[in-house]
Amino acid sequence: MNVDPIRAQILIRRGWRITLAALLALAVVVTLAQRFTPTEVRQGLAQKIFYIHAPSAWCAFLAVGLTGLASILYLWLGDQHFDRFAATSAEVGTIFCAVVLTTGPIWGKPIWGTWWTWDARLSLTLFLFFLLLGYQVLRSAIRVPTERARLSAVVGIMAMVLVPFIHLSVYLFRGLHPTPIVLKPSAPSLDPEMLRTLLISFAAFTLLYVGLVTLAYGIRLAQEAEEQAHA
Amino acid sequence: MVESLRLALAIAAKDLRAELRSRTSFLSAAMFAALLLVVFNFARDPTAVATIDLAPGILWVTVAFAAVVAMNRGFAVERENHAFDGLLLAPVSREVLFLGKYLANLTFVLLVEVIALPLFVLFFNVDLSQALPGLVATLLLATAGLVSVGTLFSAIVVRTRFAELMLPVLLLPFMVPPLVFAVQITMRLLTGRALSEVAGGLRLLVLYDVAFITVSLLLFSAVVDE
Amino acid sequence: MPETPSNGGYMVAAYVVATVIYLGYVLVLWGRAKRIERLKD
Repeated sequence: MNVDPIRAQILIRRGWRITLAALLALAVVVTLAQRFTPTEVRQGLAQKIFYIHAPSAWCAFLAVGLTGLASILYLWLGDQHFDRFAATSAEVGTIFCAVVLTTGPIWGKPIWGTWWTWDARLSLTLFLFFLLLGYQVLRSAIRVPTERARLSAVVGIMAMVLVPFIHLSVYLFRGLHPTPIVLKPSAPSLDPEMLRTLLISFAAFTLLYVGLVTLAYGIRLAQEAEEQAHA
Repeated sequence: MVESLRLALAIAAKDLRAELRSRTSFLSAAMFAALLLVVFNFARDPTAVATIDLAPGILWVTVAFAAVVAMNRGFAVERENHAFDGLLLAPVSREVLFLGKYLANLTFVLLVEVIALPLFVLFFNVDLSQALPGLVATLLLATAGLVSVGTLFSAIVVRTRFAELMLPVLLLPFMVPPLVFAVQITMRLLTGRALSEVAGGLRLLVLYDVAFITVSLLLFSAVVDE
Repeated sequence: MPETPSNGGYMVAAYVVATVIYLGYVLVLWGRAKRIERLKD
């Protein structure tokens, strides 16, 4: 199947535009969060980490969900685009997971008193991180493109089925290990200004996801076009 | 239906016969389980932490790792002998093929557990008089689920480089839910709780088994067919 | 009225880490795009 290098360039350019727009939006979000949003009285400034932590988590879950969906569509319809998208979304998802897994403990230490607490969201993100890494490691170990697409799609689907069970396990595990909570985290009584900043942040991060995936997808396409030209 | 089952059993039997003839992998897996138990024993301070607190976790980590080691052998031998390609050419449905492989793996891992359990009881001084039926049920249910994912993933990694490393990397996240459920159940059983109290946990194991045996069965043909 | 804890350092750390990770990835993508450009010639 012939890969179109021109389409690749179009996607790369579009990806850059969207990503830059998203980065600008994020700069606005950071300014809003720092200057124009009230500080939560009980948690202090550290609570503001929430404005980047929670939307990043949402994007990570979005990325994983779309990778799973693309896996199903690939096995069903056989279109290479889905495989390429699944791989791209997995890579971008890993980045979002990394941010969640670093900002989470940095937020947790002052608020909960410990770096890690096996809380539901953080634990699920940790598992998704491992699943995404496993998915990408598998892909790197298979040479033949069609085989790589097929086998990683299977793993992607299995990972989707696993997610609710991870949720159950974490819930069960936490039920037996209540964490010493110094202050009540994550859902403070949301001041309207806080809500506003949070919602804008969600929008900005989602835009970042779209931009990064478009860009990375375009690059992947361009790489394939290059390989094809030199074959 | 019956024909399919008979076919699956035949495939499983052939697999197991080949395995037991050489005995190498079975011995390795059994020894691995035994050694793990010994290592765990020395890796704890019995005066600091009560055995009963650690025992369920130790049992299930041992089961999980031994299962991975045991399932690694699954397709590797056949890849070397190209016997698997022969099987694929035969007019056998992919589901039956999966079932055959699954039953062989299941039997294999259960046999390893049969060796590991008495050693566990011995080393950790566990009283199984009340807990045995519940524990056996848990072992059967948990293993049934683990082996289904393991069988599918073995078929996947056999086509990759570093298959022996790839299998644990892919498989371990999938082992966490049955491990969590099984440890909960085992903890309750070993502290003398009634079987009725662990019904919830057993139900979760059944849920996991149903979900993953089904999905693995359905996805198997995508793995082995071009 | 409880005293607001002074933990701004953590906030700065988190924002910096997140920025480094995201910009780092953007840089990686930029590098990949550049490499393809060079290959073309």
